Amino acid sequence: MARAERFVEADNAEAIITRIEHKSRKIESLLKQYKPVEALKTALEGTYAMTGDERCKSAHWIAVHRALMAIKDVDGMLSSLDPEYYDILMKYLYRGLATGDRPTCDQCLRIHEKLTEKAGLGCILRFLTDTVNTV
Amino acid sequence: MASTLRPYLTCIRNTLDAAMCLQNFPCQEVERHNKPEIELKSSPELLLNPVLICRNESEKCLIETSINSLRISLKVKQADELENILTKKFLRFLSMRAEAFQVLRRKPVQGYDISFLITNYHCEEMQKHKLIDFIVQFMEDIDKEISELKMSVNTRGRLVATEFLKQFI
Repeated sequence: MARAERFVEADNAEAIITRIEHKSRKIESLLKQYKPVEALKTALEGTYAMTGDERCKSAHWIAVHRALMAIKDVDGMLSSLDPEYYDILMKYLYRGLATGDRPTCDQCLRIHEKLTEKAGLGCILRFLTDTVNTV
Repeated sequence: MASTLRPYLTCIRNTLDAAMCLQNFPCQEVERHNKPEIELKSSPELLLNPVLICRNESEKCLIETSINSLRISLKVKQADELENILTKKFLRFLSMRAEAFQVLRRKPVQGYDISFLITNYHCEEMQKHKLIDFIVQFMEDIDKEISELKMSVNTRGRLVATEFLKQFI
């Protein structure tokens, strides 16, 4: 039973990684057109459909990281982002803060401050308590 | 350099504000015992996700929460060998007097310079926002203290060397 699940997971993982590569190409094209906010939205949506193993999570993180680093106007980005994406964005921000890489951390700290003002402490708490859907 | 300090401290303050939701919780395994669950990590359902906030490659802060306790571990920036020694000695001096600080942990967590352990009893006796103010103020003052110590060591060294070498003139 467990082995069958693992085979299904592996196939699923391949499909997921192809889907993520697809998304990455879309994100790259959006960034070339100077639309960082749309790129971030594309990167964040559908994250939970793609649960599972580390490769999918890392692939997803790379795509989101690319979109995050391209954001220059944080306030504009937050005002145009749907509230349903706040929680996922917070999770990716904390993942970015854990990397320790200076430009990533700078950007993530900047966005974190504004996002907390907008979404409140509940957003942080939802990240802390959610042990099932980690990024 | 100072430009990332403000957002770093704000991030830590907000995270602590959210994470410091502690309540009394007697030990599940042993009767009549009451232990800080974050130190034991015996039951995963009592623990929240640990949070690692890095300012850069050398400075970071790890915040781990559980139902009745919260552990904050700090790694302070150490630019050179002298600052390394000064930081270690100074923070060891503080950790040895952890009783006086109440929220300080006697030994820092592996990989960090200093750790705080805040339990629900601290939150009951003291005000939550004051505890957070204390932690953030501590982080600001540590940097200043280490630079002052370094400057005084260098000044003393220079004076001593000048005096000593005067006899050879």
